[in-house]
Amino acid sequence: MNALPHSRRRFLQTTAGLLGAASCSWLPQLATAAGSDPNRKRSCILLWMAGGPTQTDTFDMKPGHANGGEFKETETNVPGLRFSEHFAGLAKQADKLAILRGMSTREGDHLRGTYLMHTGQRPGGPLNYPSIGASLSKAMQDNQSTLPNYVAVNPSGLLSGSALSPGFLGPRYAAATVGTRGAPAAEGSDEMADLGVDFLSLPPGIDTKRQEARLALWKDQQNQFLARHPSGAAEAQATIFQSAVKMMHPDAASAFDLSQESTEVRESYGKGTFGQGCLIARRLVERDVPFVEVTLGGNGLGWDTHQGNFPTVERLSKELDQGWSTLLRELAERDLLETTTICWMGEFGRTPNINGTAGRDHFPDAWTCVLSGGGIAGGQAYGKTDEAGREVTEGKTEVQDLLATLCRAVGVDPATEHYSPQARPIKISEGTSIDQVLA
Amino acid sequence: MPALRGSPYLLVDLIPLLSIFRGGTMLRIAHVPASCVLLSLLAWTTALVAQDTPVDVSDETAKMQAMATRIDELVQARLDQEKVRAAPLATDGEFIRRAYLDLVGSIPTVAQTRAYLDNDAPDKRQQLIAQLLKSPAHPTHLANTWRALVLEPSDDPQRLQNEQGLQLWLRGKFSENVRYDRLVEEFLTATQGSDGPGYFYASQDLKPELLASETSRIFLGLQLECAQCHDHPFDRWKQHDFWGLAAFFAQLERPANDNIVGLGRFDIVDRDMGEVTIPETDEVVPPAFPGSKANYASFGGTRRQQLAIWMVSRDNPFMPRRAVNWAWAHMMGRGIVHPADDMSPQNLPSHPELLDELTRYFIQSGFDLRLLLQTIALTDTYARSSEAVSDSEAPPELFARMAVKSLTPEQLYDAFLKVGLLKSNVTMMQQDGQRNQFVARLRTASKDRTFFDTGMPQALAVMNGPPVSTATSPETSGLLKALSAPFLSDEQRLNVLFLAAYSRPPNAEELMRYQAFLQQAEPEQQSAALGDVLWVLANSAEFMLNH
Repeated sequence: MNALPHSRRRFLQTTAGLLGAASCSWLPQLATAAGSDPNRKRSCILLWMAGGPTQTDTFDMKPGHANGGEFKETETNVPGLRFSEHFAGLAKQADKLAILRGMSTREGDHLRGTYLMHTGQRPGGPLNYPSIGASLSKAMQDNQSTLPNYVAVNPSGLLSGSALSPGFLGPRYAAATVGTRGAPAAEGSDEMADLGVDFLSLPPGIDTKRQEARLALWKDQQNQFLARHPSGAAEAQATIFQSAVKMMHPDAASAFDLSQESTEVRESYGKGTFGQGCLIARRLVERDVPFVEVTLGGNGLGWDTHQGNFPTVERLSKELDQGWSTLLRELAERDLLETTTICWMGEFGRTPNINGTAGRDHFPDAWTCVLSGGGIAGGQAYGKTDEAGREVTEGKTEVQDLLATLCRAVGVDPATEHYSPQARPIKISEGTSIDQVLA
Repeated sequence: MPALRGSPYLLVDLIPLLSIFRGGTMLRIAHVPASCVLLSLLAWTTALVAQDTPVDVSDETAKMQAMATRIDELVQARLDQEKVRAAPLATDGEFIRRAYLDLVGSIPTVAQTRAYLDNDAPDKRQQLIAQLLKSPAHPTHLANTWRALVLEPSDDPQRLQNEQGLQLWLRGKFSENVRYDRLVEEFLTATQGSDGPGYFYASQDLKPELLASETSRIFLGLQLECAQCHDHPFDRWKQHDFWGLAAFFAQLERPANDNIVGLGRFDIVDRDMGEVTIPETDEVVPPAFPGSKANYASFGGTRRQQLAIWMVSRDNPFMPRRAVNWAWAHMMGRGIVHPADDMSPQNLPSHPELLDELTRYFIQSGFDLRLLLQTIALTDTYARSSEAVSDSEAPPELFARMAVKSLTPEQLYDAFLKVGLLKSNVTMMQQDGQRNQFVARLRTASKDRTFFDTGMPQALAVMNGPPVSTATSPETSGLLKALSAPFLSDEQRLNVLFLAAYSRPPNAEELMRYQAFLQQAEPEQQSAALGDVLWVLANSAEFMLNH
């Protein structure tokens, strides 16, 4: 299995096409080989922080100021760059992170901010803009893949409509969502989160043998119609349903099957939906999926800490730190980090002042996003806020600039145009990329 | 008085009447319900039209037939010119399925199909079309189609619910078969949030530039928005055309005491102040009709009423052509001008004469949309098979064969329900919730139904999720239960399944293949095996497309 005659992708494709092929154990070896392929496509992972994470208690701390809060700063492996004490894992890999402390936007509402950060556009216009996941996965897609180009893990039920919408690109570019199966594990539960793709499994009562019999009949039925009704619509239907069938095949579906990982690896990511989601993201990136979004805090907008900010942020920070730092380490070990860019963001930041209920409120004026991994010059902070954390004093960054920078990091020209239903060319981002944080 | 081309008896006669309002206190009627002025005018023009054409049913039918024949002549002329052979007429099964999907939005039941196949009347096609257009499902389907035309698609179930308001309003208009010009006028001058159009205005945030670009696309087939920022290099539209149109929407606001009921819809007040300026300049652009020198101010009423008068006047060169092109595209899969909502002078019709004659016919019929659809449905062009005649394909704009179209998510869901005949233990509430979810998931962005605009996650949801899984499981499918009756032969069972899904019996090859499949199944697995056959049919292109 270690000397493959075809490209990995082609092999995966042919194998997936053969219904009933035995599930094989070759994927991990292949993945290791993939990293050294100079033509390897790039991937992007968006770590979405639902609710709007605080910048002052994470990556832009204000020690000594009244707004500083109760957390301490910790040194990182980059001299002078300091994070919250609850990012022990990330602190050891700060050289891979570029902290954008000058984010400044104009939407302080969850739904509007979520739309803005995902699309680069303020909501309310006549066009439904695609989320950055849909735009980038379209630009980076592999038409031959048996896996979807855009996967979203555990999106927030409340806001997923605007967050994951393919907008005018149409449902072909919608995210395949991975959700929790069975009862969702309670926050802080000790059980391992059980994740799966919506409708990827056969419905109850249908086994593989019956499915194969159905598919054999289905193929004949399709061919008969296609031969007599050549048309774009019929061909598209046949192709897309065939792709879905391929994706259901155990070889492709196994990408989402975390039981193939050792307990040790699974635990190293954290047992919750975010940690397990990061592990799914790694498995998908190994298989060249261009865009994966993993949400933390999706059940009830976890980062929306109007009250009792500190215990919640501490718990979320630890969950974030474990998932993200393990992801960075594992991608690096597989030579995949250079081609995988990870973007950390939420819908806005939080007020530097601490309110009467020990919480922080919505604050889009001056806050932080983080880029890491492939294409990013890590080990730096770009932009500054004042001592109180109220205003950006240096390196003010608009959402369009952030998205343009993300595009550049994954090798896509932000001026790439997609067409609206009225055939208007729309750029992925009209912003200017920040060259200082690009590798 | 502005010099306007065309029929002498609408605008020109209206203008003195309008000036009555202009002279007196009636001009200051910004808050009089917007449609008052126009309604009285339209009632008057309707009376005129009624005098012109006394309604006589047999006469009306003869006129429709004559127009249908004329349509076929013009399409044939183009085919002859290009030396292309037209496809033969569709079989009865193909025709009934298509007519049901296009006119009432769902596939026929087994009983309806059987009755049609068994009918020997020579005019059974005409009978079917007339009957479908009278059915209450017809306005529902049209409302659904128009809602999708008017509002950008949304995959947000909450927003989908808000859209119901607009859909209900449209359904009301279509079930009364309101004159199309009146529908446009009422839509444009709506003031009540409880009316459906309130949601359209809300979805455009009452912004003049958005309202201008959307209303001109929807009702005029003009895409002016490219002129929003600059004079279009290839187009006749200039920045002033765009902002002149936008100026008609410059005086809208929400009433101060507006109670926000739910999301989206709200009341609209027409003020008598507010102007648009070209962005980044101080240049105020007065209201002006695109491509027309008509003086808006002479029309009286609110700005929106002025716009509505111009839009629905017989002299308006765009509005009825756009409606005709919509109807043609709805039935044939593509417009005489394609894309159907881009009728700019640069985008030429495939059959200019046909578009002109149909437009004239539509105006003379009193802007009767239902009659227009009926006329198109009666043509041989509509009744042609969608099968390819030869390997060398005729370009689609020749209409040599019927286009293959995607079902809308609503059509698809209802078709699944129909083949499944779900048992009644699934409550209406559950079904509605399930339907909304399915529709939201399968929403398409493209307005061109000759595209199949969906992706892998949607295909998975169809193959493995409800409603297909429910419809193909013996525990939940009434049809499968009924088919397991011991006195039925496999051939009879397959006949029912094929009629249910495809509105045709299985061909010899299919019969052999599926009979062999059913014979392999253990006796106690018969129902499950029939469910497998139904699953195959439900996931096939022949089922999921309108052809």
